Amino acid sequence: MRFNEKEMVSLSRQPSEMAAELGMRGPKKGDVVKKRLVKLVVNFLFYFRTDEEEPIGALLLEQCRVEREDTQVFSIVFLDEAERKYLFECNSEEQCGEWVDSIIKASYEFMRKNLIFYRTEIHRLTGKDPLEQYGISDETRFQVNNGLQLMPRDTSSL
Amino acid sequence: MSCSFFSNSHSAHKSTFSSSGVGMKLHEKLLTHYLSCTSPVDKEGYLCKKKERNATYQRRWFVLKANLLFYQERPADRHLLGVIVLEGCAVRRSESGVQFAFSLVFEGPGLKTYRFAAGDGQTQESWVKALLSASHCYLSLLVRDLGRQYEEAKQQRGLGESCHGSFIKQTTTNFFFPVQGPTAEVREGRSFSAGTVLHAPSIPNRVVPKKSPKLWPRRNAHVTPLNGPAPLYGEWPLVGFDPLEDFKKLHDHYGQEVKKAREEWLRSHRAEEAHIDGDLIDLG
Repeated sequence: MRFNEKEMVSLSRQPSEMAAELGMRGPKKGDVVKKRLVKLVVNFLFYFRTDEEEPIGALLLEQCRVEREDTQVFSIVFLDEAERKYLFECNSEEQCGEWVDSIIKASYEFMRKNLIFYRTEIHRLTGKDPLEQYGISDETRFQVNNGLQLMPRDTSSL
Repeated sequence: MSCSFFSNSHSAHKSTFSSSGVGMKLHEKLLTHYLSCTSPVDKEGYLCKKKERNATYQRRWFVLKANLLFYQERPADRHLLGVIVLEGCAVRRSESGVQFAFSLVFEGPGLKTYRFAAGDGQTQESWVKALLSASHCYLSLLVRDLGRQYEEAKQQRGLGESCHGSFIKQTTTNFFFPVQGPTAEVREGRSFSAGTVLHAPSIPNRVVPKKSPKLWPRRNAHVTPLNGPAPLYGEWPLVGFDPLEDFKKLHDHYGQEVKKAREEWLRSHRAEEAHIDGDLIDLG
């Protein structure tokens, strides 16, 4: 499958708050821990050999589960397959927590859910749709009934 | 083609390969899995895509989901031809001779421009709009902005900490979306269609005013008083404008508030003075 590689490499160079040297272990049996520069940019996790400018690879952080495995270790499981589990060794408990938090919040779907929540709530509280001013209220991606059931709707104000 | 053409293009091509000798690995299965999973697609349809090398257009089926634009030959195909990650690109309606054309222009040295043509004006417009709001950066700014509006709306209602959305609650107070790279903010704004510019609001941290011992309530221009009537939504601290262009408007807007506050203070101050002018002690 083709993809815009140069543009992705350029993206991997964007400044990021979450960029650190972590021990990274791949999902396959026999994969060992390797020191990698791991960098979170938008909803991708890029990983580099520590002295290189171009990333080795990029992992899309959607439909994955991020969990703390140990005080300083977190994992990402993709495709709901336990076999596709990546492990990341951090340098402190705090750093580990930050990474787990950041990766969860970086997911596009997570952000979309929040947006829909805010949109619904702002409309409930003010009677106005906050997306109207941006001219995007009709965009499919921001629809409230976007197949996502956030929480029971409060209909008391209706 | 002359030799100089080849040598120029060769030297201009910067290697993007890491030391493994192959290009960057994009774990495709993760993308295809995401595409086929239950969350809905944001837009799909036929478009003509211009081949990079020559000037021909090929009809492809495009599927937009989140910040990813996939394409394949036909909708039923299992095999995906490719994907375009939509970060760091501007969406332009093309002025070229091709009808209903638009393009994705990736900003940076040596980066691509993808060119498309739709079947009609409505399809073109619909795709341009969808692509304009597709990037992660855009969504990030939007969520941040709406999060702020939500907090303000809650305070207006005097609800304080809402009991709604407990799973969200933990995150809203600590939410921070790092702005990723130069494509956010103003640059993205420029590529938007007229009338809708999203900017990251740069208002300072607001402090909710406490009851002041002064005669007139202390008012911060960015905060509406808790016990005053809420202004109409349209009068709220201006969102959806470009501060670089409309600073004068902003200045005038808050200037009016200051003027009013001053007048109020003068009025009540005079009233007090009048009161004091009378004898402090009634000597009968």
